[in-house]
Amino acid sequence: MAFKVIGENVLRVDGHTKVTGGAKYPADLEMDNMLYGKTLRSIKAHANFTIDTKKAESIEGVVGVLTAEDIPGKNCHGVLFKDHEALCESKVRRIGDPMAVVIAESERIASKALESIEVVYEDLEAVFDPEEAMKEDAPKIHGVDNTVFHFKIRRGDVEKAFEEAAVIVEDTYYTGAVDHAFLQPEAGIAYEEEDGTLTVVAATQYPHFDRIDIAGALGLEEEQVRIINPAVGGAFGGREDLTLQIHLAVAAKKFQRPVKMVYDRKESFLAHCKRHPITMHCKTAADKDGKLLALKARIVGDTGAYASWAVNVLRKAGVHITGPYEIPNVWVDSYAVYTNNPFSGAMRGFGATQPPIAHEQQMDRIAEKLGMDPFTIRRKNLFSLGSKTATEQVLKESVPLGRCLDALEAAMNEKPLPDKDINYLEDLKAQQLKKEGFWNEKIR
Amino acid sequence: MKTINMKINGTERQIEIDENERLLDVIREGFHLTGTKEGCGEGECGVCSVLLDGKLVNACMIMAFQAADREVITIEGVGKDGGLDPIQQAFIDTGAVQCGFCTPGMILSAKALLLKNPTPSKQEIRRGISGNLCRCTGYEKIVEAVALASDRMRNPEQ
Repeated sequence: MAFKVIGENVLRVDGHTKVTGGAKYPADLEMDNMLYGKTLRSIKAHANFTIDTKKAESIEGVVGVLTAEDIPGKNCHGVLFKDHEALCESKVRRIGDPMAVVIAESERIASKALESIEVVYEDLEAVFDPEEAMKEDAPKIHGVDNTVFHFKIRRGDVEKAFEEAAVIVEDTYYTGAVDHAFLQPEAGIAYEEEDGTLTVVAATQYPHFDRIDIAGALGLEEEQVRIINPAVGGAFGGREDLTLQIHLAVAAKKFQRPVKMVYDRKESFLAHCKRHPITMHCKTAADKDGKLLALKARIVGDTGAYASWAVNVLRKAGVHITGPYEIPNVWVDSYAVYTNNPFSGAMRGFGATQPPIAHEQQMDRIAEKLGMDPFTIRRKNLFSLGSKTATEQVLKESVPLGRCLDALEAAMNEKPLPDKDINYLEDLKAQQLKKEGFWNEKIR
Repeated sequence: MKTINMKINGTERQIEIDENERLLDVIREGFHLTGTKEGCGEGECGVCSVLLDGKLVNACMIMAFQAADREVITIEGVGKDGGLDPIQQAFIDTGAVQCGFCTPGMILSAKALLLKNPTPSKQEIRRGISGNLCRCTGYEKIVEAVALASDRMRNPEQ
């Protein structure tokens, strides 16, 4: 049987429109009689607030200002828990929480009118360290316990293994928040069609989830909402939670005109999730031959003000903390915790990206203590076909890790890193100077 | 408001501009050429790259009036006679296009490079596109595309 796709070089169907500039991303769309929206966002991490929009509403060219009161249905959304308010009602939980949306005849008027919205904040005690947030007397960000999720692995007897071990390495590893920085900032248009269907055009990763939450916020049936996903300028997990979709939909319905919103880069950073900053405390034991005996890990993920995919991400981190290694005795506690930081969600790897920072350094340090080559210790413990993971999953299909290590070792031994990189940096500097020269000379 | 002349993609045009408008605004909103994108608005990402009198510039960093009486080439003006430029074709053929948001700027960057240096080394290609960010590809395929385009432009019979 001949395959049409597998093993063949297939040209992507949207290649032509993308190389000619014809592909339409949401910011490229225009409609007649269009209005523009701009979002007012919280400058406080944790506060109660009152808002007065009268002055902004009286500005010429402003058609209205949306606040929580304008959400006709349920003022909430979220991929797992509906803990985001589309527009905050009386409390903000992070810097960047959306509080109001100005709808105006032009983008410039809408931006200007944001300055005329009056907000009075009443500061609440905020918590930025997830360890602090887990304590009983910590400020409650959603009125309930800040620990959103606790994942456990209990396999074998780790304490007994630590007693019998030849070598133990114990340390704490930290990773920071990371933004996806997809190149196309959030943008979209919403309008009501002739048959009453409410259409939202926005770059999204989950049109079906968006439809559920938009219909819920509008008090409509799902069938009355249509989502169009135009060209999407990168996402990497950052377009899984809603940002401007409900705002657009509410405005288009309320004002009966098409409404467009485009975020700039700064607002894009404020609007969407980040990769979870995770703290990983690992205690790893091996015998004198470098065979791993036990791992005890405590993992705390900072999900910020909203849960988003925290459950899945911290579960995955908990599963992956063993690394691709057979370990007979494993004890893992993995937590996801609310804080008043920017919220964390999906981002490339979904909780599998952070653990290697911990488990690979643990491996190197065990090797060092045993006077063993870093490749050797990994080969001794690597998953192979038929291995059981710490969660008792039997690996029955492709497990080509050995080949990967072989290739890596060959590449490291045969091709030492060229010192070309140093020249490259200097070239860049020279280039930069030339460029600056160009600016001064050409642009008047 | 002020009226300026600009040669855009080979055509002489007159357009009314606001003094505080950027070249990018005139291209996207004045001429409705939305192939030129906005990613950061501060000259970091390169998705608004265009050619101004044959030189590569970020259209978000140039005021519209600075482009008066000058020639601008955007992605819509890169192909000739309705066909694709060899750079555009090479981007398709090598799989250098993913989300596509950096693609117009990348192609303009490659164009500027190949105009100056028709036979760039891999390192020179990397340097040539160093003002353009891509978050999808990891750049490898884009470098490959520029090399392929350079090769095809020199050996058109292939």
